[in-house]
Amino acid sequence: MLILTRKLGESITIGDDIKITFLDIKGKQLRMGIDAPKHVSVYRGEIYQAIQEQNLEAAASDLHISKVWERLIKK
Amino acid sequence: MKIKTTRFGQIDINESELIVMKGPILGFEHLRRFVLLIHDRSTPLCWLQSVEDPSTAFVVINPRIIRPDYNPPIVEGDVEFLDIKKNEEIALLAIVTVRSQPFRVTANIRAPILINAENRMARQIVLDDPGYPIQYNVIDHKADVNKGVSLTGGGWTKTTGRLAQQTIV
Repeated sequence: MLILTRKLGESITIGDDIKITFLDIKGKQLRMGIDAPKHVSVYRGEIYQAIQEQNLEAAASDLHISKVWERLIKK
Repeated sequence: MKIKTTRFGQIDINESELIVMKGPILGFEHLRRFVLLIHDRSTPLCWLQSVEDPSTAFVVINPRIIRPDYNPPIVEGDVEFLDIKKNEEIALLAIVTVRSQPFRVTANIRAPILINAENRMARQIVLDDPGYPIQYNVIDHKADVNKGVSLTGGGWTKTTGRLAQQTIV
């Protein structure tokens, strides 16, 4: 992991077209501005991880879809 | 083309049926080519089978069937990324997690797979709204499932028909 120290108001540029500017600190909360092309997705780390984990869990689904559907629509 | 699958053995598919992940399924960045396999026309749950890894397949469903009011905003970046030109080209699939013991069915409606049904490019998008859970409990919302099925005309929508041509027995 590349570790840098920045002052408020300073920025970092990632690759050719992603820029992060550190705007404000209030206690432990850091506000940052992100400039990136529209097609680049920006995720909060914990959400990204949760979705990755759920995808991995989903890939281990262990019932045939016909059985699942039968049970789901049963009254 | 013939593909090997762990669950269904060897199956024959058309190149034209492929769904290409232009953006990855998170955690599966190395897999980009998939095909949608159906069981039959009355079962809206389908398999999104990897063409590159025989053992990777996801149970998926049109999220409107399990949650009829599902209408998340699609951001411009994603529309452009997949070259979506009209609303009618948009298809969404939610990845479903299924367990038999105990019986558990949850759908990830926070991060659906967005598909351009016209060019068959797709991306897993992450919605901002925490009101759409990563583990939406489908069993608890059984009543909605029945409503969703009748609203979408028996669960088999035009879009699913466009995306999936292959039947598995």
